[in-house]
Amino acid sequence: MPPPPPHRPTSTSTPSGKGELAELKTQLRQLAGSRAPGVEDLKRELYKKVISYMTIGIDVSPLFSEMVMCSATSDVVLKKMCYLYVGNYARVHPDLALLTINFLQKDCQDEYPMIRGLALRSLCSLRVQNLVEYLVGPLRSGLKDTHGIKDFSEWAQCLVLEMVAKYVPEDPNETFDIMNLLEDRLQHANSAVVLATIKVFLNLTMSMADVHQQVYERIKAPLMTLVSSGSPEQSYAVLCHLHLLVMRAPVLFSSDYKHFYCRYSDPSYIKKLKLEMLTAVANENNTYEIVTELSEYAANVDVAIARESIRAVGKIALQQYDVNAIVDRLLQFLEMEKDYVTAETLVLVKDLLRKYPQWSQDCIAVVGNVSSKHVQEPKAKAALLWMLGEYALEMPDAPYVLEGFVESWAEEESPEVRLELLTAVAKCFFRRAPETQKILGAALAAALSDAHQDVHDRGLLYYRLLQHGVETAERVINPPKQAVSVFADTQSSEIKDRIFDEFNTLAVVYQQPSYMFLDKEHRGAFEFSDDTSTNASVTESSETMLASQSVDANDNDLLLSASEKEDTRGNLVSNGSSSYVAPSNSLIDGLGSFTVPPAASSLPTASFAIDDLLGLSLSTNSPESTLAQPSLVLNAKPALNPGAFQQKWRQLPVASTEDYGLSSQAAANLTGPQPLLKHMQTHLIHCIASGGQAPNFKFFFFAQKSNASTGLGYFLVECIINVTARKCTVNYKTDESDLLESFAAVFKSAILNFGV
Amino acid sequence: MNCMFLLSDNGEVMLEKQWMGQPVDRSICSWFWAQNDSRKVPSVIASPTYYVFHIVREGITFLACSKTEMPPLLGIEFLCKVADVISEYLGGITEDLIKDNFVIVYQLLDEMMDNGFPLTTEINTLKDMIAPPNIVSRMLSVVTGGSSNMNTVLPIATTSNWPWRSTDVKYSNNEVYFDLVEEMDVIVNRDGFLIKYEVYGEIRVIARLSGVPELTMTFANPSIINDVSFHPCVQFRPWETHQQLTFVPPDGEFKLMSYRVKKLKNTPIYVKPQFSSTGGLCRVSILVGIRNDPGKQIDYTTLEFPLPSSVASWDLTANHGNISSSPGSKTLTWTIGKMPKDKSPCLSGTMHLEKGMDHLEEFPTLLVKFKIMGIAMSGLRIDRTDVRNVTYSPHKGFRAVSKAANYEIRT
Repeated sequence: MPPPPPHRPTSTSTPSGKGELAELKTQLRQLAGSRAPGVEDLKRELYKKVISYMTIGIDVSPLFSEMVMCSATSDVVLKKMCYLYVGNYARVHPDLALLTINFLQKDCQDEYPMIRGLALRSLCSLRVQNLVEYLVGPLRSGLKDTHGIKDFSEWAQCLVLEMVAKYVPEDPNETFDIMNLLEDRLQHANSAVVLATIKVFLNLTMSMADVHQQVYERIKAPLMTLVSSGSPEQSYAVLCHLHLLVMRAPVLFSSDYKHFYCRYSDPSYIKKLKLEMLTAVANENNTYEIVTELSEYAANVDVAIARESIRAVGKIALQQYDVNAIVDRLLQFLEMEKDYVTAETLVLVKDLLRKYPQWSQDCIAVVGNVSSKHVQEPKAKAALLWMLGEYALEMPDAPYVLEGFVESWAEEESPEVRLELLTAVAKCFFRRAPETQKILGAALAAALSDAHQDVHDRGLLYYRLLQHGVETAERVINPPKQAVSVFADTQSSEIKDRIFDEFNTLAVVYQQPSYMFLDKEHRGAFEFSDDTSTNASVTESSETMLASQSVDANDNDLLLSASEKEDTRGNLVSNGSSSYVAPSNSLIDGLGSFTVPPAASSLPTASFAIDDLLGLSLSTNSPESTLAQPSLVLNAKPALNPGAFQQKWRQLPVASTEDYGLSSQAAANLTGPQPLLKHMQTHLIHCIASGGQAPNFKFFFFAQKSNASTGLGYFLVECIINVTARKCTVNYKTDESDLLESFAAVFKSAILNFGV
Repeated sequence: MNCMFLLSDNGEVMLEKQWMGQPVDRSICSWFWAQNDSRKVPSVIASPTYYVFHIVREGITFLACSKTEMPPLLGIEFLCKVADVISEYLGGITEDLIKDNFVIVYQLLDEMMDNGFPLTTEINTLKDMIAPPNIVSRMLSVVTGGSSNMNTVLPIATTSNWPWRSTDVKYSNNEVYFDLVEEMDVIVNRDGFLIKYEVYGEIRVIARLSGVPELTMTFANPSIINDVSFHPCVQFRPWETHQQLTFVPPDGEFKLMSYRVKKLKNTPIYVKPQFSSTGGLCRVSILVGIRNDPGKQIDYTTLEFPLPSSVASWDLTANHGNISSSPGSKTLTWTIGKMPKDKSPCLSGTMHLEKGMDHLEEFPTLLVKFKIMGIAMSGLRIDRTDVRNVTYSPHKGFRAVSKAANYEIRT
C-alpha cells in the first residue's frame, strides 16, 4: 500500500529522481550527530523540504531512519514535523515504526507538557497493530498528568452523547435524571451537540408514550432555531431531521406550519422537504392557509417545485374532510393554462373524484373546458380520458373529444393512454351508445391491430365481451364501484421506523435506512458473523476466506440501491402465470388486462387484476393448477464451489424477486443461521454462505436439477430474512429459467415449512 | 472523517488534507464537481465510495469525505468551524489568501482534526498554538530566513478551567462591546397580508478584558424570546432560573447567544407592488413607504426582483433612487438608500413582453433589503451588564442593528 501517488508530477518542486533523495539522506546523516550551533535551523530546513515532498504525495519513506535519528532534539518545531512524518509512514512501514517507539516513549516523559502531549498523540496515532502494547504505559501516565484537560470539548460531547443514546436506563427516574442533566445541551451553539442530545431524549423515552410526546414539544424550538440560524448547509441537514419528526408526528407540528413556508431563495431540495412537511401537518385548522401558500408555489418558476406543490394540494385534499376550498383551488390551477400545471391538476382531480364522487359536478364543468390540445403528458391524458369515460353523461361533448383521440390513435405513443382510451370509449358507449358506436368500432379495430400486447389483448377481450352481449360487457367493463377510501402510501411505515431508529445519522438525510446504502464493511445490523467481518482485507485471506464474504463483496449492487431493487421487483413479475400483482394502473376500475398464457406474454409490464366482480374468477382463479408445470427433480449432491457461485451470481440477472411472510414458529426458531441451513438441506437446497445477527439474516442458497450437465442447471438464491418483521425477501437467479417457477415453488414451500 | 479538500470556484483542488491512514484519492473531487454542475447539490450526499459533505464560503468549496457512517451535523458543523477559523486567521477566504498562507491552513487542519475526529476548534486555543500571519512575523521570516509560526509553549487555554480563554490576558484599556444584530424574516403575500414575520437575533461580543472576568447580563423583556442557543461559556442554570446570562467570556470576538422571536406584527415599511398586464404590455407600479416608524433612519434600502422570462424590455422610472439591471442575471435592482420621511418612493412604468405573449405568466417575488441602525426590531432590550471578579471597571459599549434578511413581497 504505497502512500498517495504523486498527483502533480510536473510540479517544479519534485525531486529530480533518486538523486535528490540520496542527497537529503546524506545531509540528514551529517546533521544527526552534529552539535554545531545553528544545526537546528539547518535541520528545520531539511525537514520542511521532506515534509513538503510528502504532502504533495512523493514517497520519502526511504529517509525514515535518518529522520528519526535527527529527531533527538529539544526543538518543538522539529519534533512536531518529525511526528507528522512518522505518523504518515508508520502504518505503511511497521518495521520502521518500531524504531520510533523508543524515542516517542522517552518524549512522553519530557519535562515540557507540550512535547508530552504531542508525543502521546503521535504514539497513539501510529496505528500499528503489534505496537499497541507499548501504548498502555504512556497512556496511563498521561491520564494522571497534571496538565490534564478538564472538560469534554463539544466534539467529544457528541461522542459521549452517542454512547448515552445507546444506554438503557434501569427505571424512569434514571431516565429523568439523565434528561435533566442534558437539557442545557439543547441550547448549545454547536448543532452537532444539539442533535446528539435530541437523539438521547428520543431514545430514552421511546417506551414512555406521553413523555416521548413532551420531548417532541421540547426539541421543537431548538430545531427550528437551528434551521433559521445556521448556514444553508446546516439548515438542510437539520431540516432533514425535522422532516423525519414531522412525518412521524405531524399533529405536534400543526401549529408551526409557517416555518415550512418556502423562501424564494431556498434551493429546490429544501423546498421539496418543506412541501412534504406542509402536506403532512395540514389539518382542519390550518388547511386553508397551507393550501393558499401551496397555490402560490404553483406559479413558481421552478417547474419541478410547481408540480410538487400541486401534488401537495391534491394530497391534502385527499386527507381532509372539508375539501370545498381545495377543489376551488385545484380548478383555478386549470385556468392558469400552463401545460404542466394542467397536467398535474388533471391527475389530481381524477384521484379526487375517485375518492369524492360527490364533487363531480363542479369538477367536470371545469375539466370540460380544458382543451385536449394542452394536455400532452401521458398521465394527464389518461386522467382526462378516465374522466371523459366516467362522466360521459355530464360532459356533452365527451364522444366527440374521444373521437379526436381515436383518430390520432396511431400517433399516441404511450400504451397507458391507448389502454385508457379504449376503456373510456367503451364506457362512453354504454352511456351514449348512438353517438359512440362508430368510435367504439374504430377504437376496437385500432386496438386489435395494436403492436402492444396489452392493448391488443384488452381490445380482444372487449370485442368478445361485446359479442357476448352489451349488458355482460358493461357488467365487466363498467361495474358499479365504490369510492376509494385510502390511497396506498409510498414509503412503508416499517422503513420510516428504521430511519427513525437511526436519528442523527446519514440515514435521515438520505431518507433511507442505512442498510439500503451502506456497504458491508460499514454495516451494523447486517454485518456477517464476526469471524468474517474481522478479516477485513479480502486479498490477505484468499485461502481461508469464507464464501459468504466473497459473495457479499460482489453483491453490492443488490444491497446498495434499494430503488433499483424495487424496480426489478415491479418488472420481474416472473413472466409466468402464477403471480398476481396489484394493477399498476389504478385507473382501470379494477379491470386489468387479462393475458393469455405465458408463452404469448413476453412483455414484462403484463399486469393482472382479478376482481370477483368480474365474474371471471373461475377462469383465472388458479392458473397454476390448469397449466402443466415442467417437472423438477433436484440433485441430492450438487457441487458448486464458492468461486463458481460467485461468478454465476455476478453473471446472471435477477430472474425473480419474491416476498414471503414467515410463521411465528419459524421466526422463533431462527436464532442463528444454522437451523435454517439444516432445514433447507433436507429439501436439497444447500447453503453456500450465511451471516447476520438477529433480527437480520442473509443467506445464499443453491440447488441443481438432477441429471444436469456439468456446470448447468443451477438455481441461485439470495434470501434476506428479518425475524422481527417475519419477512423474507428472496432473489432468484438461474440459468434454467423454464424451471424457475417450479423451483420457486419448492423453495417457498421449504421455507414456509421451516419450524412447523 | 477521512479527508478534506479545498476547491476553488472553478473546481480546482487547492489543498488536500488526509487525516486517516488510507488516503482518499482526489478523484472524488472531480466526481463531486460533476455532480455540482448547477451548484445546487445538498450539503450531504453519497458518492459510490464515500459520504461527501460540503459547504461553500465566498466561492470556495470545503469538501470532506467520510468512509463510515457519522452524524451529518458533525460533518457540516466541523466544516463551518474550519471555514470560520481560516477566515479569522487570514482575514477572509479567497483563493489567493489560501494559497499565500498554505502552511498555516495546513497546520490548522492538522490541529483541528485528530485521526478523523474533531480536536481543537476553539479559535483562542488555536491562536496560542499557531500564530496568525501578520506583517511582523512575515517580516521576521524574510529577515531572519526562517522563524516558525509555531508557538513553543503549551497553550494555556488547554489547561485552564475555561478552555475558551487563557488566564493571563492583559489589556491596558479594558473594554467590552455588545452588538445586537437582528435579521428579519418576512413574507407578505400578494394580497398584502403579512403571513410570516420572525426575527432571528444574535448578540455578538468583543471582549478585551484582563484577567478572568465574570459577566452577567439581564434583559428588560426576556419573555419575548422564543428560543435561545448559547456559546459554551454561558452557564445554563442562571438562565433557566431567572433569565440571566452569566459567563466568563472568551478573549476577543465571539457570538454570545442567538435567539428567535416569533409572531411579530409591525414591519417598519410597506411595499405595494402592482403588475397588471394585457396586450403584451405590463404596467408596473411599486410604492414603498414607512409604515411603523422605528424612530431611526431606515438605510441601505434596495428592492430587487427577477425579471420574468417573458419580459423583452422595460421602461421604468423612479421618483427616488435609481434603477439598474444586471444584464446576465435578468434581475432588476432599485436602490433607494435612505428612506425619505416626507414622501413615498415610487417606481413606475411599463415592461414590454416578448412577441406573442399577451400577459405575464409568472409574477416576480420582490426581495427587500434595508438596515436600521440603533434599534432591535424584536424589541429586545438589554437591561444591564455587570463585570465581576476583576478590580477595574471596563468601558462598556452597546449597539443594535436590524437588517432585512429574508424580506419577501409576493405579487
